[in-house]
Amino acid sequence: MFGVVSVRTAPLFRLLSPTCFQAVTVRGRKSRNDPKAKSKADRVKVPPPVDLAEMVVLKERFTQYELIIRALRAEFKEEMLCQRYEEEVGSLAEEKARHETEQHRMLMAWNDAENERLRKLREHRVKQEQEQEELKTLQVALALEKRMEEYIKEKELEILTLQEESKNFITLDNLEQRIEDALDNPKNYNFAIDKEGRIVKRTEQK
Amino acid sequence: MPMKGRFPIRRTIEYLQKSDIFFKNTVKIMTVNYNTHGELSEGARKFVFFNVPQIQYKNPWVQVVMFKNITPSPFLRFYLDDGSQVLVDTEGKTNKEILQHVKKILGKPEEVLRAEELAKMVHSNPANFGPQKYFPRECMCEMEGQVPCPGLIPLPKEMRGKYKMQAEAEDA
Repeated sequence: MFGVVSVRTAPLFRLLSPTCFQAVTVRGRKSRNDPKAKSKADRVKVPPPVDLAEMVVLKERFTQYELIIRALRAEFKEEMLCQRYEEEVGSLAEEKARHETEQHRMLMAWNDAENERLRKLREHRVKQEQEQEELKTLQVALALEKRMEEYIKEKELEILTLQEESKNFITLDNLEQRIEDALDNPKNYNFAIDKEGRIVKRTEQK
Repeated sequence: MPMKGRFPIRRTIEYLQKSDIFFKNTVKIMTVNYNTHGELSEGARKFVFFNVPQIQYKNPWVQVVMFKNITPSPFLRFYLDDGSQVLVDTEGKTNKEILQHVKKILGKPEEVLRAEELAKMVHSNPANFGPQKYFPRECMCEMEGQVPCPGLIPLPKEMRGKYKMQAEAEDA
């Protein structure tokens, strides 16, 4: 800054003194309609004294200083705007967009491969399930057929035994013959058997 | 007061903030088709139960829709803003696998997240002063070791303009 006035070994309170800063027109503690204080009734506000020679020199230096500062500020702002433009619209953005689309394409390809893998697994599983179903229905049909066959065989056996037994049936033709045979050969059922089924004791029939 | 529901931890802020899936800006809708019964849909069911709230918390502008018992196999479908759709088959996968898969294909990568965080930090500089709502401090008098607020504790006489002017006037 011009004329480094602050290089002095003054105590802190001097540096903090309000005369170092610009006066700010702020009402502060009092509101609009409050009267002026009695102690300040005779006070005449006097602007700060100005040294003409100093003022000329200062004005000159200030214009130069402000010129430089304004130029610097504009320079930095321009740089920042350029960078932002590049990021949003320029080559950098295009590069980023291209990279992103490339990345997206690769990830979609990977996703498709994963879906394909799962599809194959699913198809394999469904095929296996179908095969098992078919096997099951086949087994059920076979079991049914077997049962039917056994049933038929059983019935045939029954018929055969019945046919065999029918030879010993008493009919009207051999009725009298059979009566004669029964009377000639009386059977004695008066016997006792043990637990194994053997005949143990016989009683004479009277 | 007891917590409500089967896994009430899902309703805590800490649980919701645990998720690290931030969808890309192109993702607009996420659709989940799953079945309520069946071994193959188990992963999808767990995903819907445990992870979808976390995802929705972190992506409030993505519409998430759930469909039950419509298709025989479970899947996720994402609708992007250019009209394309992304199908993710989830049959037989666990919910963690689904989460990792989704993060890989449609989540923002780590670098992008970090860059966005940096950009956000630039706008909110913690060194700034201002209203309590937006900045860490309003005035230097709040800081320890600094001059306390003159509104609460009056400044010593040496620091007050009134006495300094008086002293200068007396000197003069």
